[in-house]
Amino acid sequence: MKQSITMPVLSDTMETGRLVRWNKQPGDPVKKGEALAEVETDKAILDVEAFADGFLAGPLAPVDTDIPVRQVIGYLVDEAEKGQAATPPSPGLGEPAPIPSPAPAVSSTPSTPIMSSPSPVAVPPTQPSTALEKAAAFPPPSTPLPTGVRASPYARALARDLGVNIAGVLPGPDGTIHAAQVLAAALAAPEADLRQGPPYALERPSTLRAAVARNMAATVQTPTFQISARLAVEPLHQAAKKAGVTLTLAMARACALTVAADPWFNHAWTAKGVAKRERVDVGIAVDTGDGLVTPVLRDAARRPLAELAEDWRILLGKVKKGRLNPEDYQGASFYLSNLGIFPVVSHFNAIVPLGASAILAIAATDTQGKADFTLSCDHRIIFGADAARFLAALAKRLDQPDSSLA
Amino acid sequence: MTELLYWQALNRAMDAEMAADETVFTLGEDVGLYGGTYRVTEGLMAKYGEWRVRDTPISENSFTGLGIGAALTGLRPVVEIMTVNFALLAMDALVNMAAKIPFMSGGQFPMPLVIRMPGGVARQLGAQHSQRLEHMLMNVPGLRMVVPATPQDAYWQLRQAIRSDDPIIVLEHELLYFSKGPMDESAVAPAMHQAMVRRRGSALTCIAYSRMASLALEAADTLAQEGIAMEVIDLRSLSPIDWQTCQQSVEKTHRLLIVEEDCRFAGAGAEMAATLQERCFYLLDAPIQRVAGMDIPTPFNGAMEAASIPRSADIIAAARALTAAA
Amino acid sequence: MDRSVMAAMLRDMLLARAFEEQAAQEYAQGNVAGFLHLYPGEEAVAVGVLHAAEPGDYVVSTYREHVHAIVRGVPPRQVMAEIFGKKDGISGGMGGSMHLFDRERRFLGGYAIVGETFPIAVGAAYAVAYRKLPEAVICFFGDGAVNQGTFHESLNMAALWKLPVLFVCENNHYQIGTEIHRHSAMVEVHKRACAYGIPAEKVDGMDVLTVHGAARRALERVRAGDGPQFLECETYRYRGHSMADPGSYRPAVEVNAFVANDPIAAAIHHAEPHYPSAEELQCVGPDCVHRFTEHCCAEGHLDPAAVEQLRQEVGAIVQDAAAFARQSPAPEMVDVQAAFLRNRRFETLMEDPQ
Repeated sequence: MKQSITMPVLSDTMETGRLVRWNKQPGDPVKKGEALAEVETDKAILDVEAFADGFLAGPLAPVDTDIPVRQVIGYLVDEAEKGQAATPPSPGLGEPAPIPSPAPAVSSTPSTPIMSSPSPVAVPPTQPSTALEKAAAFPPPSTPLPTGVRASPYARALARDLGVNIAGVLPGPDGTIHAAQVLAAALAAPEADLRQGPPYALERPSTLRAAVARNMAATVQTPTFQISARLAVEPLHQAAKKAGVTLTLAMARACALTVAADPWFNHAWTAKGVAKRERVDVGIAVDTGDGLVTPVLRDAARRPLAELAEDWRILLGKVKKGRLNPEDYQGASFYLSNLGIFPVVSHFNAIVPLGASAILAIAATDTQGKADFTLSCDHRIIFGADAARFLAALAKRLDQPDSSLA
Repeated sequence: MTELLYWQALNRAMDAEMAADETVFTLGEDVGLYGGTYRVTEGLMAKYGEWRVRDTPISENSFTGLGIGAALTGLRPVVEIMTVNFALLAMDALVNMAAKIPFMSGGQFPMPLVIRMPGGVARQLGAQHSQRLEHMLMNVPGLRMVVPATPQDAYWQLRQAIRSDDPIIVLEHELLYFSKGPMDESAVAPAMHQAMVRRRGSALTCIAYSRMASLALEAADTLAQEGIAMEVIDLRSLSPIDWQTCQQSVEKTHRLLIVEEDCRFAGAGAEMAATLQERCFYLLDAPIQRVAGMDIPTPFNGAMEAASIPRSADIIAAARALTAAA
Repeated sequence: MDRSVMAAMLRDMLLARAFEEQAAQEYAQGNVAGFLHLYPGEEAVAVGVLHAAEPGDYVVSTYREHVHAIVRGVPPRQVMAEIFGKKDGISGGMGGSMHLFDRERRFLGGYAIVGETFPIAVGAAYAVAYRKLPEAVICFFGDGAVNQGTFHESLNMAALWKLPVLFVCENNHYQIGTEIHRHSAMVEVHKRACAYGIPAEKVDGMDVLTVHGAARRALERVRAGDGPQFLECETYRYRGHSMADPGSYRPAVEVNAFVANDPIAAAIHHAEPHYPSAEELQCVGPDCVHRFTEHCCAEGHLDPAAVEQLRQEVGAIVQDAAAFARQSPAPEMVDVQAAFLRNRRFETLMEDPQ
């Protein structure tokens, strides 16, 4: 028996995963449940577990390469077939597709001329008709693509007509740039033209950074407004100390209770209608040193504080090890971002992530024990007066911290 | 509108043309007293007599050539070759005579000849009786070929073929003779070689013909439940091919799947893939894919035979793969 | 026999000989390309048979068919222009030497695949019988064609349905370079027709009057509804199979070739007119044209002066045909397409999809 090991699907949005390392080599015996390899997803590094006892067999997918989900990355064989374990899969019927040669996504070699001087391809103004209209005519040679990346003819034609520099378009999960990727690139904000500036080298962002960039860019279409208030933090701080919890947790609890009192802050705008959530999940921005993650406290308004404190401890531990799972950081209905540890920050505002109604930005506490609270809201859900009432209600809770921490 | 079997539709077309034009006659093995191996000429001999419904000896090359001689001198013969496999014995008549005479005579002689024959893989008839030879006949300039998939098309296209002054091959399918479908004798026929969009869709285009057209429609039903909207084009004609209809669809979907029962290597689908990539290359978002018969003589064993030609599941899998990387 | 018929037959024989002589010369000069199969030696067959035919009869011939077409009445100008591949050829330059067609004169074509004439002729005869008309179909073929399957298939159907067709075998004893004893188990070709119960007769194909008489009697039986008839005409081809063949059929040359043991020599292109010497001709019997000319003079139908006048006349016709062919324009690709599509004129192939 020879069974395929595939790139696991670890979240709904995950399209590719990057193999960090193989823990086993072809021919090594493995036990069911054992970690065969580590995969870096949007926000975490996860194990690829063996689903059965056997021996690992090649060819193995290369590390440090983006691989589409469900694609074969290696094989598990019985002992009986161990001898053939290293032979490549035959291309016969029913066999999984062979692994394509690794697409080194963006080359990190600084001197790659194409990558270090991306030149947008413009449609010559003298050209009377678009490439699509004149599909049979031979177009001028296309922009070369990075090694290992291909583009469909239609994608190239679309890119030409839309003025998209195809060399800068990220390929789809099969390693090919299709029309969908070009259209997405065309709709995306224009890229900065760095050619006039100082020389530079391109480096591939970590998957975490890339995910943050993608998520933040996706919020551009959310209509938002900010509203600020100076609220007293000190009473809550004292109460938290007394209760033996961190200020962050106490603040999350206070926010969750305020949200629960005004359900509109727990709703989300979707194309199909207003999503009314039955539970308040609070996401809290955490600095990892290499970017941002938002571990989520589930049901933060109703569950006992002690339980939340235990959850938070575990979450922070995972953040430290870079082992956050998608279910740990996805799907909050309200967000909290606290830069209070930086005394120099007197005021800031945050961006509302998709799926949330609002995010609360808390600056540093001043000598009077007060801090700047700025609420960024999705205006499709929250109106100015709602936001004002929210801050007023929160102010009340902060003044009477026991109501939050009881 | 009535429901008819494919063979009944062909029988009605024959009857209608023979009644309308007394220069129309048919000949072939067992077309007369026996009524045709697939009943297409049933009842015609009793109605029109021996000279118009002629049982022939087993001499494919010569009775096909006889049809050609008769067409040269003003009759409109409908030659039935019992199966396409026997047409190999008549290749000289088809290729060297029927296809060439109108041209070599500088257009002096029309060739109002119809060759009717079934092809394709039926049920365990063995390798010699389970061939798809359309690619051979497609490569003969001067011959034209229609491949009706429904009783209505069988009726329309046979009548149109009989009325044409060019040699036309009506390639039927052994497994379609007893398939049922609506037929309206009074409906206005589309042009003989026009392709038909049988189902609209936007995710990919599937081009098929003859029996594979119905298989493609079956697959499209399943795919629709998965949210994959497959457009299905029934070519209806293999020579000429209505490229415009195909091209318009590919311009919309950007993905093309060709389904043919013909063997893959140099089969009918190869021509479609080649021409459509010429015409649509810059509109293709993925390589053109073919689901075709395997490049082997048809095995006798039933399961192996079925596995050697496209099945609905093969079409579904190919469509999924083609649309997965969108 | 009517004197005018004799004169007409002699004229056609002289015309045929002169025409083929001219064609060979044009070929040698490079005005004609491709295959060129010439008829000298066999004129008595075409002339004897076709002078017995009626205008309503159909004629099906082989790739050695210039003379059949000319005797049938196709203008020599149009035959020569077709051999040249020119636009004014009888088939517009689309057929060439081997594919002369003339719808008006019911000349159903020259066929270049050996054995194709049988089913075409049987099909035409089927159409005649279908319409119950007193017409006949004349089917020419060589001794080499009788070993094709279509010979047997078609004779069977013709006999089975009593179709009005006259099969005429021009037995020149050679299928290209293979002598009949080396290609047929039964060298008396007419006996093969017995297998299908078709009345068959063997005649001297070098004697036009014999051929004519036999053909007339056979066609009478065909028209009377007696079904197919079969005529074997023993004849000789003076030239090689085609211009690419030096004509090594003649006994003397054949012997020389055997002596030299040089088969290559037989395949070398010989473009110049290449006739047997008087001595060599003695080996194969008298020339049919010469023989009939002498006969006409001896019988008092014509005098030598009249014969000479005929020679002048046909010489002028052939010269005119060659000049016409030389100056005729070549067809263009648009003419090619027009010929190809001419019979689609009433048809809509495809409509614009809506």
